[in-house]
Order: sequence, then C-alpha cells, then structure tokens
Amino acid sequence: MAVADMDRINVFMAVRRAEKPARRAALSLALPLIVFLVVAFVAPILYLLVTAVGNPETRQVLPRTLGALETWDGVSVPDEPVYAALAADLKVAKDNSTAALLGKRLNYEISGMRSRVLAAARMVERLDTGPYKQKFLELNKDWGSPESWAIIKRNGTSLTPYYLLTALDLQQAPNGSVERVQGDQAIFLDVLARTLFVAGLVTLFTLILGYPVAYVLTIAPKAIAGIMMLMVLLPLWTSLLVRTTAWVVLLQSDGVINDVLMALHLTSDRLQLIFTRAGTVIAMTHIQLPFTILPIYSVMRSIPATQLRAARSLGAPPSSAFWRIYAPQTLPGVVAGCLMTFILSLGYYITPALVGGPRDQMVSNFISVYINRDLNWGLAAALGVVLLVVTLAIYLLFLRLVGADKIKLG
Amino acid sequence: MNFSKRISPATDNPVDALVRFEDVKKSYDGINFVVKDLNLTVSRGEFLTMLGPSGSGKTTTLMMLGGFEQPTLGHILLDNRPVERLPPETRNIGFVFQNYALFPHMTVAENVAFPLRYRGITGIAARERVRQALGRVNLEALGDRRPAQLSGGQQQRVALARALVFEPSLVLMDEPLGALDKQLRERMQIEIKQLQTSLGITMVYVTHDQSEALTMSDRIAVFHDGRIQQLADPATLYNEPANRFVASFIGENNSLSCTLLAREGGLAVVRMADGTTLKAAGTNVSGTGTDMSISIRPENISLAGEGVRADLNRFIGKARDVFFLGDHMRLSIEAFGGQLVTARIPARQARHFASGADVVLECGISECRLLEV
Amino acid sequence: MWLPSYATPSERLMRTLVMAFVIAVLLFLVAPLFIIVPLSFSKDPFFTLPVKEYSLRWYADFFGNARWMNAIFNSAVAAVMTTILATTLGTLAALGISRPNFPARRLIMALLISPMIVPIVIVAVGSYLFFGQFGLTNTRTGLVLAHTALATPFVVITVTATLSTYDTNLTRAALSLGASPSSAFFRVTLPNIMPGVISGAIFAFATSFDEVVVALFMTAAEQRTLPVQMFSGIRDQINPTIMAAATLLLALSIVLFAMLALLTPRRVK
Ligand SMILES: Nc1ncnc2c1ncn2[C@@H]1O[C@H](COP(=O)(O)OP(=O)(O)O)[C@@H](O)[C@H]1O
Ligand SMILES: [Mg+2]
Repeated sequence: MAVADMDRINVFMAVRRAEKPARRAALSLALPLIVFLVVAFVAPILYLLVTAVGNPETRQVLPRTLGALETWDGVSVPDEPVYAALAADLKVAKDNSTAALLGKRLNYEISGMRSRVLAAARMVERLDTGPYKQKFLELNKDWGSPESWAIIKRNGTSLTPYYLLTALDLQQAPNGSVERVQGDQAIFLDVLARTLFVAGLVTLFTLILGYPVAYVLTIAPKAIAGIMMLMVLLPLWTSLLVRTTAWVVLLQSDGVINDVLMALHLTSDRLQLIFTRAGTVIAMTHIQLPFTILPIYSVMRSIPATQLRAARSLGAPPSSAFWRIYAPQTLPGVVAGCLMTFILSLGYYITPALVGGPRDQMVSNFISVYINRDLNWGLAAALGVVLLVVTLAIYLLFLRLVGADKIKLG
Repeated sequence: MNFSKRISPATDNPVDALVRFEDVKKSYDGINFVVKDLNLTVSRGEFLTMLGPSGSGKTTTLMMLGGFEQPTLGHILLDNRPVERLPPETRNIGFVFQNYALFPHMTVAENVAFPLRYRGITGIAARERVRQALGRVNLEALGDRRPAQLSGGQQQRVALARALVFEPSLVLMDEPLGALDKQLRERMQIEIKQLQTSLGITMVYVTHDQSEALTMSDRIAVFHDGRIQQLADPATLYNEPANRFVASFIGENNSLSCTLLAREGGLAVVRMADGTTLKAAGTNVSGTGTDMSISIRPENISLAGEGVRADLNRFIGKARDVFFLGDHMRLSIEAFGGQLVTARIPARQARHFASGADVVLECGISECRLLEV
Repeated sequence: MWLPSYATPSERLMRTLVMAFVIAVLLFLVAPLFIIVPLSFSKDPFFTLPVKEYSLRWYADFFGNARWMNAIFNSAVAAVMTTILATTLGTLAALGISRPNFPARRLIMALLISPMIVPIVIVAVGSYLFFGQFGLTNTRTGLVLAHTALATPFVVITVTATLSTYDTNLTRAALSLGASPSSAFFRVTLPNIMPGVISGAIFAFATSFDEVVVALFMTAAEQRTLPVQMFSGIRDQINPTIMAAATLLLALSIVLFAMLALLTPRRVK
C-alpha cells in the first residue's frame, strides 16, 4: 500500500479516535430511550414474531409419542410402541389438564382432533395395561390414519410455519408440500387486499381533497391562512375516538347526513351508511386528511413565487405554468403525505370496528378477534407479522424517499 | 428631509419610446404607496438601470412592467399600447429574476427550451435555438445538467439564456448578480452589457449596487422612497447630483451644512458654520436661506498648493485620523466648526500628519455643489 | 379573490371553483367535530338535529356515574405518568441526537419514530402477550409502559425541532463563564428549549389520554380508561352520555391545542 494511503488511513483513524468521547456522550443521552424502546416496544413486537412461529403444545404434551414416532416410516399405520407412548403421554396430560391445549392446537390442522384427543385422554385414564393400538382404533378409526400421524410428527418441531402459511391462505399437506387453501377457508388474502384497497382509496381521497387546500393555504392572506390552518390542525388534535364517534352519529340511518340528503331530495329512502365500506372510507378520509395536507403544504410553501412568474414571463399560460412548473415541484410533498396516510391507514382498527360492517373489517380487526374471541394467539400473531411486514416495507420506502427527520407535527 | 425634487426626462423622444410609465402609483395595502407618481420613458435599445436602496420600490416597478403586479393608478405603455390588463405571458418580455427562478425539475436545456414551445418552436428548430442561446453564455456543454448541479455563476447564465432565447425586445433584470462574488459579478456585468449591445435589446435593470449601475447603464434612475430622485446618465449623476440623497447614495460624499449668502453669476456664495465663506456650483437650487448644504467628494479635496487660485476654495482643519491605503491616503479632518470632512489624498501627495495638526486643504469651486437639505 | 386584474374569465371561474371546493373541504374537516356538541345537550336520546329541547341530563348522567368517573381518573393518572416518563426520555434523546457527532443518526431516528408507524394493534397485541409473561397485563404499569413507548416520538420530534433553532454557542458561553455542564443545561439550554419540551409533553399527554387500542388490551375493569369506556359504550349501544363524554374530550383537545398554539407562534407563510 502506498505511503500516502497509509497516512490517509491514519488520519482517518485519528479523527475517529478523537471524536469517540463526543460520540459516546451524544449516544449516552439517547441511550435511556433506546433501551426503553427496546424493552417496551421492540421486545413485545419480537415476542409477537416468536408467537407467530412458536409451536410448544405437541412437544410439551407428547414427548414420548414423538420419540416413538422417530422410527416410523411415515406411510404405514404405526406399531404398538407408538400407541403405548401416546397413552402414557395422555395420562400425564389428563393429570395436568393440558390435553385440551393439545387438542386445540392439533384441531387447527386436523379437523375433529380436539374431541378425538379429549376422548382418548378419557379412555387411557381407565386403561391400566396394553396393548393400546387396538383400543385407540376401536375408539376412533382415524387414530390409524397415517396422515394424522404425519401431522403430529411434523408438529414435534419447536417452530412451525403453520400460522404464517394460514395468514397467507396457504397450508402444508400431510406430505409436507405447500398448497393454496381452498374455498371459504381462504379469507386472509382477501382481508389483506381489502386493507390495502381501503388504505389506497383513503390515500387517494385525502390527496384529491387536500391538495387544493394546501395550495390555497400558501396563497391566502396571512389572517385567512391562519384560520384555515386552525381548521386543518384542530381535527388532528381531536381524539380519534371522538372523531369516529361523530361519524357513527352522522352516518346513522336517522342521522344528520340522511336528514340532509332527504331534505335536498337527493334520495327518497334513507341510505344505509353506518356499517358500510363507504362510511368507513369517508370517516377514515376525514381523519387522515390533515396528515396528507401538512407535508404537501410544507413543500408548497418552499416553492418561490417567482417560479410561476418566470414560467409566465416565458410565455406559459396559467394552467400550463401550474401543471408543468408548479405541480412537479410539489411531488415530494405529495409522496410524503400520501405514504404517511397510506402507512397509518393500513393499521386502522377503531374506525372500521365502529363504522364498518362485517365485510369491512381490516387486518387489525381480525388480529383482535383471534386474540379476544378465538384465543388463537399464533394466528393473531402471524396476521400481525404480515401487517407489520407490509407496513415496514412502506416505512422503508418512506425513509428512502422522504426521511425520518422530515416528519413534522403540524 | 425632502428628497422629492425630481428632474423630469423631458428630453425623451416619444417615437423612440418602448416603455412609458404615466403617473403610476402602487400600493399593496391601500394605505401606503410604495411607488409614488412614477413617470419614466425607456427608449428603444437603451440600458436603463433603476438604482436605489432596498425597499425603495424598484422590484415593485419591475413587477408592474413584467405584469406580475398591477398599478394601483396610472398607466404603463409598451410600444404605445397600455398593458395593465395584459397577462405576463402575452407581453413577450424577458425577465431575469433575483434568484434566477430556474425550474429545478428540468435540465438546463429544458429550461431554455421552455419559452420556445409557447411560441410554436419545437423539434430541431428549438434544439438549434437552445444550442445557440447556451452558446451565447458559454454553457454549450452543460445542457443536460440540472440547475442544482451548477455554480451560482452558471445558474445566472442559464437564466440569461432562458430570458434571451425567444428574442424579446425588452429584457428586465432584478438584481441578477446579487448572489455572486465580486470578481464574477464584474465579469458578468461586462458580458451582460455586451450581449445587450450586440443584440440590440432594450434593458431595464435593477440593482442596489452603484458601481454596477455606473458601469453598465446608459441612464440611471435613482429610486428612493417610491420616487425617482434623479434620472440621468452616469457622469451627470456622479458629477451633478440633483439632491442630497443622490449625492450621498452615489459615491462617497461630504455633506456640510451651510447658509446661502448670495449668488454671483452661476455660482453661490455660502457661509459655513464657523464663518468661513466658500463658493459653490448650484444652478438648480432656488431660494436663499439657512437650510442648505454643500457636497464635496473626498477625491476632489487635496492638500493646498502654492499660491491662491480663483477657481479653488481653500479651508483649514485639524487632522483627526490618517489611514494609509496604498494608492491613497484617507484623511479625516475636523473643519467648519466641528464637522468631519473626509479627504482622499493621492499617494504621491501623502505626508504624515500628527493628530490635531493644522491642515490646509482646497477643492475646485465647480466640485462643491450646493444642495437643498 | 387574490387574482390579478388581467385574469381571464376561465381563470376566474377556475379560481372560484377551487375556493368553493376548499371551503367545502374545510367544512368537512371541522363540522363533524362539532356535531356532537348540540347532541350532548339534547333532552332526547336521539341523534337528530335540530335539537328540540336542551338539557344537561347527559352530563348529570356522566358525572353521576362511578364508572365514568373512575375512567376519567384512570385516564388522567396514566396520562400524567406517561407524560413524565416520555418527556424525560424523549428530551434526553433529542439532546443526544441533535449533537453533531451522534452516531448512526438516520438509523436511530428511524427506530425512535417507529412507534408512530407500527400499527397500533401490533403494539397492543405484542404488549398484551409480552407483558403478560411478567404479570403486567391488567395493571396500570403495563399500560403506562406501552403508552410511553407510543408517546416518545412526539417528544423527540418537537424537541429536536426546537433544538435545531437553538444556538449551541449559548451553552458554550455559559460554560466559558464558569457554569458546570449540568448548570449550563438547566439554566441556559433548558429554558431556551422549554417551548419544545412543553409541546412534546402536551403531545405525550394527549397521546395517552386519547389512546384506545392498547388500553383495550392492557386493562381490566379497574384500570379502564375513558376512551375504552366510550369505545365499549359505542359498541354495545350508543347513547347520549357518550356524546357528553365526547364533548368533554373535544373541549380538552381544544384546550391542549390552544396551549400548544400559544407556545409556538405559528409561522403561516
Ligand atoms: N407583495 C408585497 N406585499 C406588500 N408589500 C410589499 C410587497 N412587495 C413589496 N412590498 C413593500 O413595498 C416596498 C418596496 O419593495 P420593493 O419594490 O421590493 O423594493 P426594492 O426592490 O427596491 O427593494 C417595501 O417596503 C416592501 O416591504
Ligand atoms: Mg428588490
């Protein structure tokens, strides 16, 4: 290596060394928050990821069975030792009342498994000695099905792709190959598409409604612009729940909007607005509008007035000056505002829950249902992972195109 | 103070007039006038500069001519047609803005081609015109760059090329060199002047830099407080300022209060605060009285020589500060009862003066100008 | 309005249309907020306008009900605790990030801002599952921890914005005059960035006080907050007492907003 290069590297290293205390001091100020966020924010999300692939039930409840299955060829009906191990495991499970847990888990992949496991657990409690195989097959001939055994054996691993596959409408056949879920079981891609669609629609509407507002904000006289700004910021400040409540009231079939429509003779019958997709999109557009307006306004404000003047002095008529000179320069604001609104719209929960109908629920609402009603944490977590991945992908796009330091609060 | 005295440009030939402002007044808020009673004629082919301190209404005047602001009262005629109601894009005026207003999302070539498409020039013809325009400002090679990739001077040239490419007969420039460093500014002054003469363009140029105005202009309109204080060619402006504002704004100036005693022929006899009498030129000042001043430029004061001459004023002062500046010496003298007078003595005359030493000075009578305060 | 006199008729028409459109959008933004106010003062339990007879019965209902009162108390306690924690952590971090030699600024800023970005349900479910491991679900501590994580980005953003206009030479001057680093901070830096810190605190308070989803997952009946109480109310059977609660929340938002507006003279234009 040339001496000059060595010198340059030495200088570089010396600079790094000299700056080290200052860097450390700066970092140490941010460290408490970083640590806090890692513990109270990142760890819960990581835990969610783990829950989405975690598979503890079979391993915990059927350790002996899984051991015995190791030598099984995967195609024939297993031999007596497997059934004996199963009986021993279920006896312990009955004592620890973990059989229901196992039944619930296996039931996700083999329908009817819940009652089969519980019935078998009750049976083995009464049995003292083998041979067990015959007894199991008498209890339910499906205990002899190699497919069932294949799935049990597969679930002996500590991690499972099952929930993530389900969240994407995929499943693993007993032979291990991944295939598309058919029929009315396949709902989650629909939900994801619906979420993306609603978020896109809301983004589009906020852009159409917000762009002219941002423009007029930049050209209005100070006093009027001040009042307009207040009208944009006040909704932003009002609790999301209050705004959603307002829309619940407004959209009622005997509510104000229907009253107005009837009074104007725009409709003859009261419209169903509450619990509809349209209602959801209207309310979400209302809530997201300031998020789209503010970044556009802040970019528009930085465009010098001379840009339009220059265009016109060079011969461009007003509309051409606007579309060829002004609009392209507002693009960074449009991108920032739209990405922000799209990201936030993806995660909506309250508004679809209160204003939407059953067919308007978004990914967030399904996550909540699987946690609270079905107690299927794995699937809830997997849906969360899907939502998170989509959101973070767009957040990364936002960071690339706009930058985290450009986020402003009104 | 009252700087309102105006020399009207009665000499202009209306046939040659390209631009006329007729009693133009402008107010933004309906209360204060930022342009008061503007009458101005710009002749074809002329380089006219509006010179004045910041806030004096120069930009406003230019914007009205360009069509971006409307006169509150009065008329603006372009080629003898009133244009107040014409939108900017139909006026066919080249405009170079203060910060250039280059379109950041277009390349240099696209910027320059922009006005052509509205004049029906496209394709090869347009490309040829763009090449030519960029050639005129020595930027042929940079057509594909974005404005942000250019230096300040290069951006300035692009703005120039863009304003000239459609061959307007009138070009307006609002402090086009304000953002450049001194050296570059001086080079651009010459280039712009050359372009203007060679293309035969009529130019209305705004600046607050007096040396720029003096270098480039055929005529200069000095703006202050929304009014033209004086409209004249650079030499007249410098040598015969119409009032105290012009005298102090253009070049360095000693402004000394005095009382007018009498008139003798074309000259005025004045008494200074300490009783000294001086003679001064001042044909355009009427009346007599106490509220007068004479203005003397520092470079017109020299150390008194041998003998007394009839065409010189001679006076005595005490040296206060002496600075040697290479090619000249700056002498700060207390004279006329405590007023500070600055003199600029050529280096070959330079001598050392102790602070407080008596100094005898003289200056040409024709270079002492009587002005109303 | 705001058009030059040479504007063509089509330009004028266009401008008029844009103005009408913008006014309509601004009404769309603001009107729904205030629709709940008259309804909360109505004597009838219907949600129709105009209100026929006014009364305070729903407010009496609200303030007379132990559940609502308890919810307000819970919200206030959680919000105050969140505000203290988030403002302290966020201000410190902003001070660090604003230093010129902060390492990996973009990456860390992206992390600090991410609680604003991650869907709220994911935070809620993650907190519910993770804090459950330590017995922190259905406790106020768990709720405050989660809310603090959500609130810190606002503090970081507002304080960083204020610090960007703070002249570091002020601190240097204080040090050169003999102040210790800590007294330079408390007597010179902090007073100067106070508006940003207080704005951040107000944002943090509002974030916690208004938050529903995390609170839904992380609280049982005893810790139930005002928004959760409202949410369940709307879900079951929307009633006018909720209008009274919503009106009070709206009033609180306006008060906080006004405080913020007074703190930061807004530069429109
Ligand atoms: N758009 C405007 N609205 C209100 N006042 C203005 C506007 N533009 C300029 N002014 C005022 O008019 C006066 C003259 O300004 P300007 O023409 O820009 O002066 P100059 O270009 O000589 O510096 C100043 O006092 C300025 O504040
Ligand atoms: Mg100006």
